[in-house]
Amino acid sequence: MNLLNEFLHDPPIVRQWDVERWNRFLPLARNARLLGRCLYLFEQHELLDCVPGRIVDQLRGALAQTRYVQIQALREFRQVKRKLDREAIPLIALKGLAYVAASLPPAHWRGLSDIDLLVPEPDIGRTERLLMRFGWIPSGTFDSYDQHYYRDWMHEVPPLRHHVRGVEVDLHHNLAPPVSRIRIDADLLWGRSIEQSDPSGQPVRILGPADMLLHNAVHLFMNDELRGGLRDVVDFRDLFEHFLHQDPEFEQQLMVRARDLGCGRPLYYAVSSAQRLAGLHPSAGFLDQVERDAPPYPVARLMAWLIEQGLSPPRLGLRRSALADRLLFVRSHWVRMPPGMLLRHLLHKGFKSQKKPPVNTADLPG
Amino acid sequence: MPNQRLILDAGPFRVGVRSSDAAFLDTLSYFYRDSVCGDGPHVLDYDIEILRPRSLRRWVRAQVQFEIDGIRPFDPHPAENAFPMYEWGLNWCIATSAHRYMMLHAGTIAFGDLAMILPGTPGSGKSTLSAALSLRGARLLSDEFGLLRPDSMDLVAMPRGIPLKNASIDAIIEFDGAAQLGPTYPKTRKGKVRHLRPDRASLAQQCRPAVPHWLVFPKYRAGEQESLKPLDKAEAFRQLAFNCFNYKLLGAGAFRAVAQVVRQVDCYTFTFSNLDRAVAQLKALTHVPSGQQADRK
Repeated sequence: MNLLNEFLHDPPIVRQWDVERWNRFLPLARNARLLGRCLYLFEQHELLDCVPGRIVDQLRGALAQTRYVQIQALREFRQVKRKLDREAIPLIALKGLAYVAASLPPAHWRGLSDIDLLVPEPDIGRTERLLMRFGWIPSGTFDSYDQHYYRDWMHEVPPLRHHVRGVEVDLHHNLAPPVSRIRIDADLLWGRSIEQSDPSGQPVRILGPADMLLHNAVHLFMNDELRGGLRDVVDFRDLFEHFLHQDPEFEQQLMVRARDLGCGRPLYYAVSSAQRLAGLHPSAGFLDQVERDAPPYPVARLMAWLIEQGLSPPRLGLRRSALADRLLFVRSHWVRMPPGMLLRHLLHKGFKSQKKPPVNTADLPG
Repeated sequence: MPNQRLILDAGPFRVGVRSSDAAFLDTLSYFYRDSVCGDGPHVLDYDIEILRPRSLRRWVRAQVQFEIDGIRPFDPHPAENAFPMYEWGLNWCIATSAHRYMMLHAGTIAFGDLAMILPGTPGSGKSTLSAALSLRGARLLSDEFGLLRPDSMDLVAMPRGIPLKNASIDAIIEFDGAAQLGPTYPKTRKGKVRHLRPDRASLAQQCRPAVPHWLVFPKYRAGEQESLKPLDKAEAFRQLAFNCFNYKLLGAGAFRAVAQVVRQVDCYTFTFSNLDRAVAQLKALTHVPSGQQADRK
């Protein structure tokens, strides 16, 4: 557990922080993209007076940025929806977009770098062609191998973005790759989806509460770098508490639904991670049930270690072993595809060069 | 050499810089020794490390990397360009996080507590003009990164090394033979760069904000006579908004702040070619009593 996790567990702890701790906190929170969440916690617990002024400035600056990307995301969503409505293709907003569009608690602070959408599998090709006809283009270059990887093995098509607006649009037809260990019947998701109004009063369809949390859990379970990981764990905690507050039976419904969709194991990992790292406090009865889907004890311990390592940002004076990174990478692929396919995939990726850093200094002022 | 750490004030931002690169640290302290923070624990806005990556490149054509918050946002640069990389990197940190401020792509210069804003795209000559004005005694707030605090409508000072590029370097040397310039970086991504050291007085007063009073859009045109013309306020609004990095991001707040600036300042366009004449003309503008200046309505 690092300083940020300690804070998420027990916000008033900051009353005892010295300058050195604040200097460790800011890079951790910025790296995890949790500045906005932290600002809300400070406000909620009336702790702003204890926070150094320049850190408050950084938090408020980050929140201004978040508001902006949220508006961009909602605008992009409406553009896509307008096109799909015309062809009567239904769609569900997922993850960050869903939280923001349906004004769920993470909407107060959560940034998003792309919008994730679910469409019925038989419609996904048609949806992609439709968007391409109206100005969306591939977001990045995808060679024939990448195309094959996405289209034949994954639960999404290569990401798109509008040629002017530039927000990335990820079209999915399921929550997990069809070749993975977790096979979810997408029809069940559609059956429980609900319609709400977005901030401008437009209808938006989102996953049912339990399914929304299971999606978050599956995402954590499948993700190789756990990039955005701690933020997703915090989302899980916030949504869990929100739905439980709305409906005292929510824990039970979540458990039943996890079993129905075959997501018991990911739910176990998500709940135990949120408990350890983000201060979630589920009921003892619920924990008992969730733990029935835990792997054998040594595996559970190893995974807890791996997840914690993976969620700690590298190079911030925290122990994070290269071994953990390697194991997580292998494991995430292991659950995502069968062994033969995995071998082919890793061999191919092994020949490709690494990703470039995102920023070109020639564009910077100075 | 072991890692050393300097803590500097860059205007309102407190920056920690760690490095084991002696040449880089020398250059850094040449520019900013007057804004190094004293002893005592300091809360940092940005905790930066300039480091040599662990690879063959440590010895062969050495490189350096910029690290903050556990990430390395840029490609490595040749080790000899560590200082320009640090300056760009810090600008990137500020540009991507300091949205408490409206960030103007503008030189900002103060005469007493009144400020002149010189916005402009690269090549307009705003850095060179800001450098020349500061060499003639005006207070440097910033050479191309103007910070306006929307709640107070003050321009905040952030005097930094002014990166003169290509022909500007000789122009400044010719303008003032005693100008304090740092090392020459012949090959950066922006061509040849050499920084002018911010003057002591400006650094000493970097906590002192200034009120926008003149808005001048400079345009360098080789061989042309200097010409200062009043600019219509609607057009000034459009151009100032265009030169604001986070205008769209700040939304309605930025609209109101730009409108307020334009309402309270005198607006001009300024074509120039000769720095002596240009500086004399802009300084003369600051001596004209208010009321005789361009229409303020």
